[in-house]
Amino acid sequence: MAVCIAVIAKENYPLYIRSVPTENELKFHYTVHTSLDVVDEKISAMGKALVDQRELYLGLLYPTEDYKMFRKLHNSYTDIMCNPFYNPGDRIHSRAFDNMVNSMMMQVC
Amino acid sequence: QGREGGRLSSSGELFVLTYGALVAQLCKDYEKDEDVNTCLDRMGYGIGVRLIDDFLARSAVKKCRSYSETADMIAQVAFKMYLGVTPTVSCSSAAGNEFSLILDKNPLVDFVEELPAERASLCYCNLLCGVIRGALEMVHLPAEVTFLQDRLKGDAVTEIGITFLRKAEDRNGLVTTT
Repeated sequence: MAVCIAVIAKENYPLYIRSVPTENELKFHYTVHTSLDVVDEKISAMGKALVDQRELYLGLLYPTEDYKMFRKLHNSYTDIMCNPFYNPGDRIHSRAFDNMVNSMMMQVC
Repeated sequence: QGREGGRLSSSGELFVLTYGALVAQLCKDYEKDEDVNTCLDRMGYGIGVRLIDDFLARSAVKKCRSYSETADMIAQVAFKMYLGVTPTVSCSSAAGNEFSLILDKNPLVDFVEELPAERASLCYCNLLCGVIRGALEMVHLPAEVTFLQDRLKGDAVTEIGITFLRKAEDRNGLVTTT
């Protein structure tokens, strides 16, 4: 289960960000931002080795999460992209996306 | 590809995305929803008058002997052939010239969750109405075709209404009742 899910545009701003309501949501936002550095590292590493460039899932920050979660997230993301009324770069406002994210977030009592 | 079952093929998806791009572009070109709807209908008409020959060639169906047969043909053969779905047909007038097609699934709107707030009167699939109207006209069955209900607008179902305008004529030009 996730505590924070974010979709970041290539210009490094969030298209969508949701976290479990806690006192320190800002901490999550910082973590998401710093994880972008890890993403950059992984992508530049891929350029050197002959790694399958089609593999979108770059790996886990910590070895706990589910690969299936990323799959679901990415499929929902591509569905958003296919909406003719969605302009790339817009914030993501979609009930279907929210529902999918809800299903993956940790339940907080 | 990890997508859920029941999806169109890649060429089917390309068609759906192309249609979406067309509607989105028309929305940029025209301020009023009515104008976009009219444009879609006109484009559909242009497709319909041409598509009918393709349909008749591929389906090799015999001439329909009644409006009811025609409506069934549209729903069960044409829709199936071109969109892969089969709307349910019902006759909605005692005179026997008004029919409604209820679309349970509509691949054209697969990726459209809902209409944008500023486009509340947009008939997203209005092209279909034009196609049906154009095709029917080419077989001498003039009709009015509109969306009566639309799930994208918040209605319970998506329903296309077909109203045949004239009594059917046989080949000799005599008027016969349906």
